[in-house]
Amino acid sequence: MRKNLSFLGFGMLFGYALSRVRASDYNYIYHMFTGTDLTLALVMASAIIVGAIGMRILAMNQYKGFRGQIIEVNVKKLTKYTAVGGMIFGVGWGMSGACPGTLLAQIGEGKMMGIVTLLGAVLGTYAYALLKNRYENI
Amino acid sequence: MTQWFPAEPWPWWMGGLVIGALVPLLYYFLNTALGVSTGFGNFAKLLFPKTKLSWLNSKSFSSIVNHRFYMMIGMLIGAFIAGRVMGLPVATIEMGVFSETLQWPIWGNVLWFLMGGFLLGLGARIAGGCTSGHSIHGLANFHLSSLVATICFLLFGAVTVFAIRVFLMGGV
Repeated sequence: MRKNLSFLGFGMLFGYALSRVRASDYNYIYHMFTGTDLTLALVMASAIIVGAIGMRILAMNQYKGFRGQIIEVNVKKLTKYTAVGGMIFGVGWGMSGACPGTLLAQIGEGKMMGIVTLLGAVLGTYAYALLKNRYENI
Repeated sequence: MTQWFPAEPWPWWMGGLVIGALVPLLYYFLNTALGVSTGFGNFAKLLFPKTKLSWLNSKSFSSIVNHRFYMMIGMLIGAFIAGRVMGLPVATIEMGVFSETLQWPIWGNVLWFLMGGFLLGLGARIAGGCTSGHSIHGLANFHLSSLVATICFLLFGAVTVFAIRVFLMGGV
């Protein structure tokens, strides 16, 4: 239970930050993609740098976690479908003005269309499970 | 009498600092990779509890109310608080320039965002992650697949918005 409450706490911080930086605002996503306001691109770039520095510190600490357990970094494998999935996702991002994290932030803030986007994303995930049944490696 | 003023949005570096720090912090305290989209599988299981599909019956989804579920609930609560702090409306069907410019009837918007969400959910699973899992977590760990995925995300997002402006909004 304590572990789940920690996840709840980290989730709250994540949702709060996404919303405070306006990542959940359609206009900011729209203007990032038109190149007229790069606020969110800067958020992403700086987050990557901060994350990389943090991972470097963990590496210097021999990947020892909080209670001395060894941290296992989740390596995401490149497959022949990675690019295809990325393209599909990109179209969805442009259409909805949200990504999986920010659509949750939209709902929390009170943007009702976020609920519709969430429902779509859940159905899309189900469609993946259907595809996976036929094409095992996807 | 003091009047309550909504807080300003954070500057970009503040968001980058907090969101970026989540990657090592989640590993350090919970040995978990930052990511959101896998959790939609939990909701899919909630929607289709009797599904026979093997992927939705894998170990990751043996319990619907698991750590990913708690994280997503936390995100809703965190954003709820942020929305009140910034003085955003508690409930609105507006979606910025999209709904302002197009003035579509509600069912049009519902269909559009349902479709957009569908592609997000499907694409994230095929690519193996979303903006947080690939673009933040994966790039911070220098994963090649995350670079490929992120380039596709951004490129096709930009192409889609360009198409929306040309074909729906009538010009750039």
